Amino acid sequence: MALSPFGSRSPSMTVHSPNTAIRLRATAAQKSFTEPASAAVSRPVQNGDRELTEQLNIDVRERYVKDKKVGEGTYAVVYVGHLRHDPSSLVAIKKIKVNAEYKDGLAMDAVREVKYLQELKHPNVIALHDVFSSKDQNLSLVLEFLPGGDLEMLIKDSDIHYGVADIKAWMGMLARGVWWCHENFVLHRDIKPNNLLIASDGEVKLADFGLARSFADPLFNMTHQVITRWYRPPELLYGARQYSGAVDIWSMGMVFAELLLRVPFVAGNTDLDQTSKICEAFGTPTEENWPGVSKLPYYIATDKAHLVPLQGRDFFMRQFPTAGPVGADLLMSMCALDPRKRSTAVQCLRHNWWTIEPRPTRNEDLPRKSGGTKKMGDDLTRRGGELDEGMFKSAARQLDFGMK
Amino acid sequence: MIEDDIYRTSSQYRLWSYTEPSLQSLRATTNAVASERVRAALRRSREAHQSTATSEAGTPLPESNTEVKNRDEKDVECLTPEEELVLVRYYCEKTLELGETYKPPLPTMVRATAIQYLRRFYLTNSPMTYHPKSIMACALFVATKTDNYYISLRQFADGIPGDTTTEDVIAPEFLLMQGLRFTFDVRHPFRGLEGGVMELQAIAQGQGQPAPHLPHETAEDLQQGLLSIAPPPVPSSSMSDRIARAHGTTRELLKSAAQMTDAYFLYTPSQIWFSAFLLADRPLAEFLLDVKLGGPVTATIPAPETDENGLVNPLYEIRSKLHHVLTECSALLQSYTPLSSDPAQMKNLKRIAKKLYHCQNPEKVNLAAAQKRESTQPSTAVQSDAGVVTSESETERLAKKRKLEQEQKVRQEDDVFGPELVTQRTKQ
Repeated sequence: MALSPFGSRSPSMTVHSPNTAIRLRATAAQKSFTEPASAAVSRPVQNGDRELTEQLNIDVRERYVKDKKVGEGTYAVVYVGHLRHDPSSLVAIKKIKVNAEYKDGLAMDAVREVKYLQELKHPNVIALHDVFSSKDQNLSLVLEFLPGGDLEMLIKDSDIHYGVADIKAWMGMLARGVWWCHENFVLHRDIKPNNLLIASDGEVKLADFGLARSFADPLFNMTHQVITRWYRPPELLYGARQYSGAVDIWSMGMVFAELLLRVPFVAGNTDLDQTSKICEAFGTPTEENWPGVSKLPYYIATDKAHLVPLQGRDFFMRQFPTAGPVGADLLMSMCALDPRKRSTAVQCLRHNWWTIEPRPTRNEDLPRKSGGTKKMGDDLTRRGGELDEGMFKSAARQLDFGMK
Repeated sequence: MIEDDIYRTSSQYRLWSYTEPSLQSLRATTNAVASERVRAALRRSREAHQSTATSEAGTPLPESNTEVKNRDEKDVECLTPEEELVLVRYYCEKTLELGETYKPPLPTMVRATAIQYLRRFYLTNSPMTYHPKSIMACALFVATKTDNYYISLRQFADGIPGDTTTEDVIAPEFLLMQGLRFTFDVRHPFRGLEGGVMELQAIAQGQGQPAPHLPHETAEDLQQGLLSIAPPPVPSSSMSDRIARAHGTTRELLKSAAQMTDAYFLYTPSQIWFSAFLLADRPLAEFLLDVKLGGPVTATIPAPETDENGLVNPLYEIRSKLHHVLTECSALLQSYTPLSSDPAQMKNLKRIAKKLYHCQNPEKVNLAAAQKRESTQPSTAVQSDAGVVTSESETERLAKKRKLEQEQKVRQEDDVFGPELVTQRTKQ
């Protein structure tokens, strides 16, 4: 049986049904109208002056209890908490910090994150259970609790051993998450191992939608300054302002390669370096292999003597022997230089690598590591697209090691 | 998994879709709650004035006081839900205009999103509590942020005619977002329309694709079918010209009627654009429906259509159901006439505005000033021992309330009528 695009339902806490929300709205209205002095939830002070939406916000807020802080960054503070009525139902509460410098209201990363997570309900996308504000107008996001850390942590830990069946399981979950985003016309624009968090049951969840946006209408320009450098596709490095879900597929390919090699595959020190490393690895983009590429703003023509021919299947098989020939073929389809030739998420999911042996590891048998709660705290406090200096430094060391 | 299932996961479907009765009852509830609040607030402000007057005059006459109070209370006539709706609609039209004043004008999508934000906000808030005038600019600004057209607040405020400050724009942001229940995504009918038009153009050029359940149809069949439909409402030189014209008319309907009516609350984006398309060029729209769902369905055909093999169109039921929905939605869109171009409606609006002047909640009038008061106040976040979210914010809230009352007292001291004596109210 092929992997269903939906995979298994995560057994985490239930999301409040939409109908509850509508009912809630009506009952809250009724309540405050008929008996302003009493309310469903007991609270120290009851104020009849509250507006309906304020009351609803308080109701949401009171559903949760914060337990302890697990991470703090410049952008947010993350707490572990639980549902008031059920201490076993853990959640992560991400409180967005108010930036005194930014006078334009709620910051764009927070706007994007809230907007898209409200829409994307899928087992492989981090669940947003609720949003509420405190009286000081700080926004809190109640997110799914993901104590398994992230893929970066597993890739880097030399004590962890994993094989191609595990990679198949992780990549399958990533591909389904990305497929769901694209199916909903959302570009993630920051896929990388430390944005792929792991639930207690081993399920991989796409997180950090601080750089996400909806597909633009044709001819509408977007910024090319997205996606962490090592995972950034050549069209963005060349400054393309119009692009598609193919940018996320490239990142996915880079994650796939990194899972196989256990070091980032193309890790440039600057944007320019990144471009030349991509050319060295996959071939030099030219009008022949990528019609139109020379018209991109930052495209630099390479003189004939330094042209690297487009790499074929045998290169991928040689470079990634653990993937096997079929796995290498899938990887190659994700790493096509020309975004029009790159596989779409649906095409990736239809690839026969998923159905051949070995079968993907079941979630409960996937390698895991303790200490994930702290990692989740760190991951969730990072601003979208923020370069994690620590990560870069340690990864650079790894690279040197890899080149010896 | 089909598109409908995906749509059902959207916040637009989950939180912002209603039946007509549920929409009506929600508005009635909101209106009733707000009216009650307004009366209470006006009573409070009157009591404040009376006690001030009383203390000035010396010995009060209790009986006459009560009389005055009773009379005043009867006088507070609140807006009806229908009147509130007219007012909101007017400011939705104003939002469209405001978007037009920017250079270049804000994209249609941004303006449409802002209008839907206003409409959603006023499902649970009343214009008596928050005047749409003060929410409108903020809704438009938030829409630039959520719809990928972010411009700085300063630039945005500068673009507003008059002397609107950045504080005026941003003050209700949180209130608005709370009213939107922190869902920012609005699914518009525009993208679907573009797809439909592209499909029709392809058919016209003989490059049409048959629907999956009608595999025997060729591109030529489709092209022939399209060329043999009934003539358009307005004569056109070619099929491609006709499609372009219908496209333009539909877009205009989607920018205006679809925004100003309850269409988004009652129908899905594809139902809305199809209904508008039917109004623009019925034969063309019905042709596209036939291509998608087979078999024409009109009121005059009593029996289900059968295809050449004598089989019933398997999609007949969906088609009939859709026909019914589209007819309703078309009627709703057609019912719309802009307020500003209709003297009778404008007269009614003026009456409502006048009425609102008397039933505006006095405690919520100046949002920017209220915000300033809050932001200048040092944070009073107190972590309670239990680490409970509630108690922390409750403490904060109480602290703020005290502070506000203190400030109010200070301000009142400069008042010619002397200091406010209602501090007793809080003791009660």
